Amino acid sequence: MPAEIIDGRKIAEQIRGELKERVEKLKARGVTPKLVAILVGEDPASISYIRGIAKSCEATGILTETVRLAENVSQQELEAKITQLNRDPTCHGIILQLPLPKHLDTLRAESTISPDKDVDGTNPINMGKLLLGEDTFYPSTPYGVQELLVRSGHSPDGKHVVICGRSNIVGKPLMGMLVQKRKGANATVTVCHTGTRDLAAVTRQADILVAAMGKAKAITADMVKEGAIVIDVGVNQIEDPQNPGKFKLVGDVDFEAVKEKAKAITPVPGGTGPVTSAMLVANTVKAAERLSRL
Amino acid sequence: MAAKILDGKKLSAEIREELKGRIARLKERGIVPGLAGILVGDDPGSVSYVGLKEKASEELGITSHMLRLPRDIKEGDLLKEIQRLNRDERIHGIFVQLPLPRHLDESKVLSAILPEKDVDGFHPVNVGKAWLGQEAFLPATPIGIWEILVRYGYGNLRNKEVVIVNVDNLVGKPLASILAQQKIGANVTLCHPTTPHLPSYTRRADVVVVSVNKPKFLTADMVKEGVIGIDFGSNWIDDPTSKTGKRTVGDIDFETVKEKAEAITPVPGGLGPMTVTMLLANTVTAAERQARIT
Repeated sequence: MPAEIIDGRKIAEQIRGELKERVEKLKARGVTPKLVAILVGEDPASISYIRGIAKSCEATGILTETVRLAENVSQQELEAKITQLNRDPTCHGIILQLPLPKHLDTLRAESTISPDKDVDGTNPINMGKLLLGEDTFYPSTPYGVQELLVRSGHSPDGKHVVICGRSNIVGKPLMGMLVQKRKGANATVTVCHTGTRDLAAVTRQADILVAAMGKAKAITADMVKEGAIVIDVGVNQIEDPQNPGKFKLVGDVDFEAVKEKAKAITPVPGGTGPVTSAMLVANTVKAAERLSRL
Repeated sequence: MAAKILDGKKLSAEIREELKGRIARLKERGIVPGLAGILVGDDPGSVSYVGLKEKASEELGITSHMLRLPRDIKEGDLLKEIQRLNRDERIHGIFVQLPLPRHLDESKVLSAILPEKDVDGFHPVNVGKAWLGQEAFLPATPIGIWEILVRYGYGNLRNKEVVIVNVDNLVGKPLASILAQQKIGANVTLCHPTTPHLPSYTRRADVVVVSVNKPKFLTADMVKEGVIGIDFGSNWIDDPTSKTGKRTVGDIDFETVKEKAEAITPVPGGLGPMTVTMLLANTVTAAERQARIT
């Protein structure tokens, strides 16, 4: 039986609906949440990602702004810009679009973002709080994965979650979130990677399989247990076999084959992507609520 | 064939000898490493543990500054003491003996320690940096485990299955912080003691780490032939054959598992002796970093 397709757009819509009420309350107190994205250079994928976020912000009634810096901006100029935003009372959330050009120190730049405005949870102090189980901002992609699971009725509670890919923006924070002893988490979690020998033997153990390797069709049907929940975080551009010369977006999962075996699966596009941007908005609203309480 | 016994007592003595050399080099430059500890109240376990740390520091030539504060100390006063130690240039490492009395906010207290002096590795900045794979202080238990593995020749964990039965901030999560990094390349699974079908995880493990404080929790039928067993349990059980009528055992059923394992840590004499040593090692590292010798 083909799998239930988890509709990320619908879930994102639902989340934004809930956020709108909170935004209205803030506005009634004279606070309009604002997210500022810093973009260095002209990377087309980054530009399109930020455009998606801006749309999600507008749909929720929050403000958004993109600060564009030249490809050759210095570390000092970048940090000065971040510091200025840290102090700006009209700005509640700051994201720094990655990757940065090679001459810039990503870690130092991320550590400059005020932990109170770090809505993508990249400042090490927020990552530490995440792992410790303290109140923090969850990075939007893993946060979105957790929301997708819980809201589609597949809570990770008591389940074995296998995460393929251990990046600092997806795999690691997701592991830290899902092992916490709380509702919507409480999972047994394995992290592995594309280099894992006999990856299939590991992935076949999963009740919930999260693919975050950045490699098209890396997860094939033989790697998935019958009845597993499959969450695809991958976004890969491949040549469209139906339209030679054109490109299309696919995930890390061989969707057509895996959907025949899985109990539920997220599509690409329309799965984790829309929820990721909704979570970024959610974090911005939370930041505005926290900051305006002070 | 019986397993190799991973002798923490012997390793600990070896590491302390190496530390003496590093301390001597610091002293040549006029730096005497200083460790400050804060003990609130008079919990007998904590009193004796702080005493051990004090004695071990002095034996190595690390100056120890132990503050014994009254049980009913106000949080503000405790924070002031920490700030004073943060500023004191003679002190390179600071730890707060846990648990704290209930009226004190543990997370607030630990976050007050300067990350550069946080030799227990509990400050969220250190937790986050370690998780992200950056230079940071890590708690004594996980680095003690890592040292045991490396020094006994089991440090190459690429493509190995590591199963950790513990998801706490002291053991499971920080150990995953070391072992789940790309450069190590292990597949790491964090299990709760309550994980359903736990033996199905532990039986796959090349390395199994247990810290649940239940005697004989991990039995021979739960491990595969050739496993490396690491035991951080400490249980005080009845033993009519001993003079006191009691003895300490770990969480692994040592007698039966050692017949199947490649290597195993005993209790006592395994990880226990390593923890104080690793705290001292972190203190020496802190002194070197603060003096910019690394």
